[in-house]
Amino acid sequence: MGRKPGAAPVRAGGRDSRLPAPCICFFYFNGYAPLEIFRQIALGAFGNAFSTNTTLAKSIPILFCALATALPARMGLVSVGAEGQLYFGALAGTAAVLSLTTAPFWQLFPATLALTLMGGALWGAIPGILRAGLGVNETIVTILMNYIGIQLVEYAVYGPWKDAGNLGWPATIAFPQAAKFPTIAVGAFSSNWALVLAVVLALGLHLLVERSRWGTALALLRSNPRVARMAGLSYVTHAIAVMALAGSFAGLAGLVQTANVQNHLQPDISSGYGYVGFLVAWLAGQNFLRIIPLALLMGGLLSAGDALQLFAQLPFANTVVMQALLFISVLGVGAWREKRRSAT
Amino acid sequence: MTATLVSNLLSIALLTSTPVLLAMLGETLTERTGVINLGVEGQMLVGAAAGFAATHASGNPWLGLLVGALAGTLLSSIHALLCLALGVNQIASGLAILFLGNGLSSFYGTSLVGQQIDGFHSMAHGWLALLPGIGPFLGQLTPTVYLAAFLLIASGIFLYRTQWGLVWRAAGESADALRMLGKRPVALRLAGVLVGGLLTGLAGAALSVDYTRTWVEQMTAGRGLLAVGLVIVARWNPWLALPVALIYGLAEALSLRLQSAGADLSPYLLGTLPYLVPLIVLLLTYRGSQRANAMPQELAGVFRGMA
Repeated sequence: MGRKPGAAPVRAGGRDSRLPAPCICFFYFNGYAPLEIFRQIALGAFGNAFSTNTTLAKSIPILFCALATALPARMGLVSVGAEGQLYFGALAGTAAVLSLTTAPFWQLFPATLALTLMGGALWGAIPGILRAGLGVNETIVTILMNYIGIQLVEYAVYGPWKDAGNLGWPATIAFPQAAKFPTIAVGAFSSNWALVLAVVLALGLHLLVERSRWGTALALLRSNPRVARMAGLSYVTHAIAVMALAGSFAGLAGLVQTANVQNHLQPDISSGYGYVGFLVAWLAGQNFLRIIPLALLMGGLLSAGDALQLFAQLPFANTVVMQALLFISVLGVGAWREKRRSAT
Repeated sequence: MTATLVSNLLSIALLTSTPVLLAMLGETLTERTGVINLGVEGQMLVGAAAGFAATHASGNPWLGLLVGALAGTLLSSIHALLCLALGVNQIASGLAILFLGNGLSSFYGTSLVGQQIDGFHSMAHGWLALLPGIGPFLGQLTPTVYLAAFLLIASGIFLYRTQWGLVWRAAGESADALRMLGKRPVALRLAGVLVGGLLTGLAGAALSVDYTRTWVEQMTAGRGLLAVGLVIVARWNPWLALPVALIYGLAEALSLRLQSAGADLSPYLLGTLPYLVPLIVLLLTYRGSQRANAMPQELAGVFRGMA
């Protein structure tokens, strides 16, 4: 019962024969050939350059949201707020785009980026302040604020920011090229600099949390707040800073989705990336290095879900079920191994 | 005039808050044993889909409620397996359950979209409606509202007035104390999770079979996650669950009412009310109160990242 998160070394990718067993049962039960489906999933995720690019595009927001979950968790804060922070970050970034639409890249992009980071940080800081100042449970506040953030985006795109040129479709004007993350291409593979930013962030956070004084402070605040206070660490400052920082990461997911993927601000920015990111962070045991391959795996699963819908006529709900079964198997197997190890 | 308006608002509030109240009762009972289940949303969804399907097939809404409740129980048993048998972190497991319920209900509910059911007969002309004074008001409500009221009283009495309720609460406060009583914490927690699954499945079925009478993918729209939050606002107390759920219901009713009255406010801004109001209530009730006292002590550990 006294297990810390991350104590269970869950191997990413699951080279474990038992892992897809529930998925096999699910497909078999519904009259599909499981092995053929798995082959299709692998092809749909990484079969060619196009599908790999789709996978990368879907992995970016998941990665950002996973970072936004794992950082507060390092301090013992359970934030489920990446989804709302993603939306509010995108909303704030869009404000810059709308006011500086014709500005050149070197002006517009930094402005958009700055506002996005601030928006996400605000949406993360509010639960942080409430937690640190009043002791209000942050899990609940982040959940409530998710819905508020989503509704605010809907208000903007159905209301004041709706572009008349869209013929009634609720969305803003198309984003100018100068508001987007620049493209990065290696051969047939193309993505954008947000991917690099996300990976660098993950590596940087890993180093900071594992090797720096700050990382130790967070660990101490999580495991023993009393000792931390005696050591002169302020719970309030750290909680607010960590939540704000995490919020700004999730905001970046919103920006890359809005600017590079969807090209407008529109009601459904994210297909639950905030929650998928949450699960990825927990699967990775809040370890920033492990988050990277797991985010890629999840992105692959999502883009394969799109492909399966087209070719195998499988409804997308399948992908959600598969994701859930995958999580349940990884969590279960990891915990079971841990149990056996501690028993012997 | 105003009396009718208030009675209308109140009846809409009761109708909208019933599924949330049922889900809150379920989660309250679960958390009282020291387990948190964030999968309520998923359990509500499978309850809504299964309940709707059963009603559609049999024509009997009561059977629909029963099947929905059983579907919720079944899904919650996975949460029990993961947390209690394998020791998976409860928050992570709960979210996995949420995803699973979401996917399963969408997958098996595809054929239900757009189907019609009759639901319960209107009670507007029954013996309740003939009562003097409040009859018309009572007749506007539906059977699930009364069922929820009954379950609220039952869980309140169970928790605070029975020997078993005392043991139940002890499981959430201190597993060690429970062992000294010669009871097994795991058995009680299993019961807690399953009872929670039963009530949250029922909550979903109440939503699809009685309130909307349709099945739409992801129709719970966050009510399940919200219910988990409102349990904290209500301080793990079934009696307080009613006013808290009603506050949510009133916010919802008010935003519906204002929209239909053609208020100047955007419906999307009004749509934030059901989430904003509980948030404000949460803040107001936290101020100056002894925090963390109401929380079952065994849960505090979960939130500190230990499972």
